[in-house]
Amino acid sequence: MSANIMRGAAAVVGVAEQHYKRGEAPHSEKRMTLEVILQACADAGISPREIDGFVSYAGGANDGAIVGGALLIDELRWSNMMWGGGGGSVAAAITNAATAIATGQADCVVVYRAMSQADTGRLGYAKYHYGSHFLAHGIGSPAQICAMRTQRMLEHGGVPRTAMRSLVLASYQHAQSNPTAQGYGRPLDEEAYENSRLIAEPFHLFDCSRESDGAVALVLVSAERAKTLRSDPAYLLAGAQGAPGGYSELIDNDLGEQYMSAGFGPANNGKPGVAERLWSAAGLGPDDVDVVQVYENFSGPAVAALIDHGLCPPGEAAGTFMTVENLTAPNGKLPLNTSGGNLADSFINGLNLAVEAVRQIRGTSTNPVDGAKTSLFIGGPMAPLVSSVLFGHEETL
Amino acid sequence: MTATEPVVEPWGPTPDGLDGPYWDGLRVDELRLQRCNECSTWIWGPQAICGHCHSFDLGWETVEPSGTVYSWNRSWYPYMDEYADRLPYVTVLVELPQADGRRVLGILADDVETNPEIGDRVVGVFEHSEGAPWPLLRWRRAATAEGEKG
Repeated sequence: MSANIMRGAAAVVGVAEQHYKRGEAPHSEKRMTLEVILQACADAGISPREIDGFVSYAGGANDGAIVGGALLIDELRWSNMMWGGGGGSVAAAITNAATAIATGQADCVVVYRAMSQADTGRLGYAKYHYGSHFLAHGIGSPAQICAMRTQRMLEHGGVPRTAMRSLVLASYQHAQSNPTAQGYGRPLDEEAYENSRLIAEPFHLFDCSRESDGAVALVLVSAERAKTLRSDPAYLLAGAQGAPGGYSELIDNDLGEQYMSAGFGPANNGKPGVAERLWSAAGLGPDDVDVVQVYENFSGPAVAALIDHGLCPPGEAAGTFMTVENLTAPNGKLPLNTSGGNLADSFINGLNLAVEAVRQIRGTSTNPVDGAKTSLFIGGPMAPLVSSVLFGHEETL
Repeated sequence: MTATEPVVEPWGPTPDGLDGPYWDGLRVDELRLQRCNECSTWIWGPQAICGHCHSFDLGWETVEPSGTVYSWNRSWYPYMDEYADRLPYVTVLVELPQADGRRVLGILADDVETNPEIGDRVVGVFEHSEGAPWPLLRWRRAATAEGEKG
């Protein structure tokens, strides 16, 4: 079966997000989830009772039966959780919803994620994240793992650190046009970036994402239904997920140079990996991408993800390409993280980036890319499972 | 011997028991890694199966504790309570050519000020701290270990 049966079969017709400073959510994850689902349904112009599918990822206590029960939906037909933390499966969750619609398993699926420190602690990790072979050696957080992988990308792979800096500065520049961004009114320049305190070398403070409390929801329906609801659905052109076997899970013994990649590269048998499968299913390539939202838990993995997708050249050339000018809307060659991203807008485990990807298709971003017809969302680089999804305007079908 | 800081708990065998021989080896100053008895593939971290030939007949072999820096990180942020007054420190990912390039993590026990470089030679030191439940394998730059200024 060709992956192309998915192309354009489903579309995002409703989005909603809310975020608060970490620890300051006024409500529980369940209540925030319900609120954003209602808002996303209102955005789509559909009744919440019509929702028959729910997909989330990477944890969370409120599954489809719980949320559907609270909303008293007509019937639950699809309730899934995508495995994979670190935001790796965030785009995969959207693909999962579209799969249900394309195969007739469900008609109206919500993708959602809520995070509240009061409910689940920081990122939902009760204690340290890694096992004894990491902890015994001073490694207990994803930041440190990503830092070591990034260090090899810089030192061995030859990517200049300025590539990371440009990504961070572009994000902060975008946040200055987004009044709800947490970095709004707090512009960042090279000097402040370089002088910020070290966290886990090579990461400085501003290379690391902020965590927020909040919730996000996206409503997907079939392409036929989408056309009746609004003039600007964001069609899912392609989605891909996975990782080379063994990636990230064998105490940093990934094969060959996979260690310094973001995990979107070729399979261990040389067959196409996540990025190539995405392009192949979409019938488009990196040159066709108008705007990108790339998950940046930390700046280094985001650069690696762009390289994996062929959006940025590897090695020294990454430094030439990754300039603030090239990465900012409206005129950059590859405008990215146009709401401010995880770094300067908010971080609801990265699903907020998907909402911005949809806004770019609608032309409603606070940093719109003129005439954007394709909008890429890349999830969770350097996580054990990674994913990406390409949205397109109706004209791309 | 005093512990090289930081000492981060918990450490020792994982609940699945797969890595018991690794920790037992440290008690007698040996670095032991898993190796397939069928096809001789080196395996790390510990697994129930050989990913290469899918044999469950896995053994352990002692490896000379020396290698090269594959990557490194200097931690400044107190991600754990145990770190709070022991920052910064450097963790290295060490590639072991004698075990087909398998990589093991470890704290760099000397000189946290000088940046390691990928490819630097390092040697393992077995650290038996007073009162500690298990020894730990730390790393030193080869030049330092040989008494030169590295």
